[in-house]
Amino acid sequence: MRKTFLLVVAALAVAAAVGATAGARPAATPGVTAKSILLEGTYPLSGPASGYAPIPVGMGAYFSYANAKGGVNGRKINWKYEDDGYNPANTVQITHKFVEQDHAFAIVGGLGTEPQLAVRQYLNDNKVPQLFVATGATTFDRDYAQYPWTIGWQPDYEAEGAIYGKYVVANLPNAKIGVLYQNDDYGHDYLRGFKAGLRAAHQSQIVTAQAYDLSATTPPAVQMAKIKASGADTLVLFATPTPTIQAYVIGTKLGYKPANVITNSVSATDPFLTIAEKSGSNIVEGTISVGYLLDPSNPIYNKQPGMKLYRQIMAKYAPKANANDPLNLYGVAKAWNVVQVLKAAGPNLTRAGLMAVARKMNYSPGDKNANPFALPGVVTFTHNNFQYPISQVTLVKYVNHVFQPQGKLLAGRGALR
Amino acid sequence: MKRLGNPVALGVLVVAVIAAPFLFSNYRTYQLAFVGLYLVALLGLDILTGFTGQISLGHGAFMGIGAYTTTILVVDHGVRDLWTIPLGGLIAGVIGLAFGIPATRFAGPYLALATFAIPLAFIGLLKRFPHFTGGNVGKNLPQLKAEFGWHTSPSIWFYVVCWTVALVMLPLAFFIVRGRFGRAMRSVRDSEIAATANGISTAGVKTLAFGISAFYCGVAGSLYGIGITYVNPDTFPIDLSILLLVGIVLGGAGSLYGMLFGALFVEFIRISWGPALLNLFSKVHHIDTHAPGSGLVVYGVVLLLVLYAAPSGAAGLARFSFGSKTRIIRPRHPPGPPAKGENA
Amino acid sequence: MQTFFQTLTTGLADGSIYGSLALALVLIYKATEVINFAQGEMAMFTTYIAWALMGHGSSFEWWAFFATLGIAFVGGAALQQTVIRPLERASVLTAVMATIALLVILNGLAAWIWSPQLQFFPSPFPTSSWVIGGVHISKQDVGTFGVVMACVLVLWLFFRFTKLGLAMRAGALNPSAARLMGVRASWLLALGWGFAAALGAVSGMMVAPTVFLTPNMMQAVLIYAFAAAILGGLESPVGAIAGGLSLGVLLNMLGQYVHPVTSELQLPVALAILLVVLLIKPAGLFGRVVVKRV
Repeated sequence: MRKTFLLVVAALAVAAAVGATAGARPAATPGVTAKSILLEGTYPLSGPASGYAPIPVGMGAYFSYANAKGGVNGRKINWKYEDDGYNPANTVQITHKFVEQDHAFAIVGGLGTEPQLAVRQYLNDNKVPQLFVATGATTFDRDYAQYPWTIGWQPDYEAEGAIYGKYVVANLPNAKIGVLYQNDDYGHDYLRGFKAGLRAAHQSQIVTAQAYDLSATTPPAVQMAKIKASGADTLVLFATPTPTIQAYVIGTKLGYKPANVITNSVSATDPFLTIAEKSGSNIVEGTISVGYLLDPSNPIYNKQPGMKLYRQIMAKYAPKANANDPLNLYGVAKAWNVVQVLKAAGPNLTRAGLMAVARKMNYSPGDKNANPFALPGVVTFTHNNFQYPISQVTLVKYVNHVFQPQGKLLAGRGALR
Repeated sequence: MKRLGNPVALGVLVVAVIAAPFLFSNYRTYQLAFVGLYLVALLGLDILTGFTGQISLGHGAFMGIGAYTTTILVVDHGVRDLWTIPLGGLIAGVIGLAFGIPATRFAGPYLALATFAIPLAFIGLLKRFPHFTGGNVGKNLPQLKAEFGWHTSPSIWFYVVCWTVALVMLPLAFFIVRGRFGRAMRSVRDSEIAATANGISTAGVKTLAFGISAFYCGVAGSLYGIGITYVNPDTFPIDLSILLLVGIVLGGAGSLYGMLFGALFVEFIRISWGPALLNLFSKVHHIDTHAPGSGLVVYGVVLLLVLYAAPSGAAGLARFSFGSKTRIIRPRHPPGPPAKGENA
Repeated sequence: MQTFFQTLTTGLADGSIYGSLALALVLIYKATEVINFAQGEMAMFTTYIAWALMGHGSSFEWWAFFATLGIAFVGGAALQQTVIRPLERASVLTAVMATIALLVILNGLAAWIWSPQLQFFPSPFPTSSWVIGGVHISKQDVGTFGVVMACVLVLWLFFRFTKLGLAMRAGALNPSAARLMGVRASWLLALGWGFAAALGAVSGMMVAPTVFLTPNMMQAVLIYAFAAAILGGLESPVGAIAGGLSLGVLLNMLGQYVHPVTSELQLPVALAILLVVLLIKPAGLFGRVVVKRV
């Protein structure tokens, strides 16, 4: 009896102690003071997706650099991020905290298709910018009319898939294609785009498409065996890094040697392909993929002014990070964009003003204000009905452990600008 | 009246629950709403593990079943969200019963490991039937809007819904554990042989306990889906089932009011206390508070420390404070399955 | 026929890894009646240590392999003495909770120390295959199976033919009687954890080349190890190995030959089969049903 009473009282005392720390009073525009702008985002710092943890580190490094150069219209950027473990339930609660307790100005670069889908309606209902989400899921760019406060950033998966399709039509019109794709929105977006790029006439080139579930506990051995058995001479891999590397290795184990391999850009990085080679794969050389950012693990870009700036920023503001990791550069490149739109939104900073700027961006080499961390020539452009900030990529081929650009920029969507 | 739990304690709780939204910010109220729904889930798991002695590592899946039931009914069939709460519980409860029937054949650790299979199977099934469940992408639910002409924020309305449910399910839990069935449960926990010798059908008791606990978790799951406004397989990982188990141990398995502590811990540790503790550490000893994995280490260490300080949970501590001092070293009937060495 | 033998060898290789981790679980369970949920993370952590010893994964070094076994042994024993022993008096539930806390800590610590980036872990065996009559038999698969079975054999010899092994078996069978015979029970528990940790390290080092080194790499393996341990019977070391091998072969065969079983259903179907086996034999294939005396 007494014990029950004590328990209840103690529990309530704990709740009171916990609950008491409310939060600062919101300013006129939440997150904006005379001296600072609060930007926050959720990232998987633990769990299976924690490989993406370098992204917010890169972003922080660039924001520190920008702050050192005077900030944005006299205000310094206050960048905070927290771990959601890629669990959308955590993303929702943490995002509520960002909006209602911390009064962040904008949610920036939130990572993950599902985590960001979970908070999209909430942020739009509360008119909080969901800026430059870190995912290539097409819906974030395409559905701007329904979700005016949400905008993507990187080239979307469907567009990338279409580029591969067009490449096949132009260069491998008689190839027999075997596709290994991840059985979720990621893989489906790629495959849909790929088929669109192939057009109706060439879709029969796909002799087999094998689905692989990311939560499967065994490598895609069965699927690779079926692709080999289908006689496909062109292997297309639309999966995240681990199953992609496993596919390369299993292919060789089975004695499968396709003439061409096309791998999506998320998984086609030098570190991952090197692991595949070390693990015994002999079909890594010649892999075709696409890129849109400078690649710090590729020495051919070392002379680019953007790469030099990147390395300076990383050395000064994130010395412990691995500057050769492309994910750090991704963060820096995105943060550059964030600073641009903040500056353009002017000293009278409002959330609506920020979104208006983000929806009308034009950073191009012609105007000498292109993203220095993107490949030369890449334009960041949004306008009216076109809300895909970066939609250009270049084809790259993995030769001697380095991705060699192949020809000019390609437009994933719309015309080349 | 005693059958429904200490009325004074309940009264204090009700007063506190009503007062809280006026005292705390909108965001804290939102969090306290989750405390309410976790309370319901922990009550359910406690009935199975604390009172009947069956360890389950799969009750996060029953929450998932409740959440998906609610989501599919609301999004695809236009049912009013509030009505789906008992339905979510019911469907989860039926599945729990169905699982309980064969599960009673398994002894302790076999059962624990078998229940481990439930969330895995659940996630696999969710992905296998994407047309029905939305697959990996999941489904979005519409925000719960205040009813009955109230004009409050969605967070406060959600709080009202969660605690109304919790304040009904709590006396109900007392009713269950303080009656004949409750005595049967505890006898199964303490000695299956003695229970059988007394004419109790241990299989029946265990099965029913499974069903009841699944029902509670299903209700909690419906509320969870409504609060998160999104469901997908990643939202119900194994971690959730483990978190529920952590909650009942820290609250004190076998105590119902102890689950309040458990619920507070479950809600606040990941979102609030973990990062706060890490910040505190970094002031003392410089560490990168964003280092991947650091949050987990803090969570694990805190868990261990609390286990050492209070092996029988908050309820155990309360027993110590108010009970006879001589009992602390060997409480006569530690809640949960018997320790090694004790006669089964 | 080709695919059958390929599938069989891969199944046996996978199965040996599940079996060795299952054996580790059984060792600890037999001694302490606690299921060590941290077994997988202990294996992962020691594999990272091996990786560090090998100079971050250039090539496999056998000396590092054996050094890691030693470190794992000491570490496992130390964990039991410091983390688990203080909670021995509490209920089984609390002990299980402690292993869960350990799981979380080790997982976080590995990510913190070595970063969660995917890393390459070398295999001691060449990645090529023998081609016998058109069938590709992977040398790595055969080698993995051999190494794991050799370690299990050594352990068996230890338990069967040494005094310490006898003492441990006695301690597990009847702690009170063993104590009366002068066997120090607490040390035996520490040794049990030590051996289990070493077995886990073998498991981890053999599986890392295929699934690549990340902090979460053992999670799937642990699930299968649980399934194997239950399948074989939690008190039976032979059962753990047999259960692991059968499970490995079953999973690979299912995935290859049974078409409705797409990759998302592989695990649930395997678990369903496991449950069916348990319904027929509730203590596992090799377990003994304990008759309780009143």
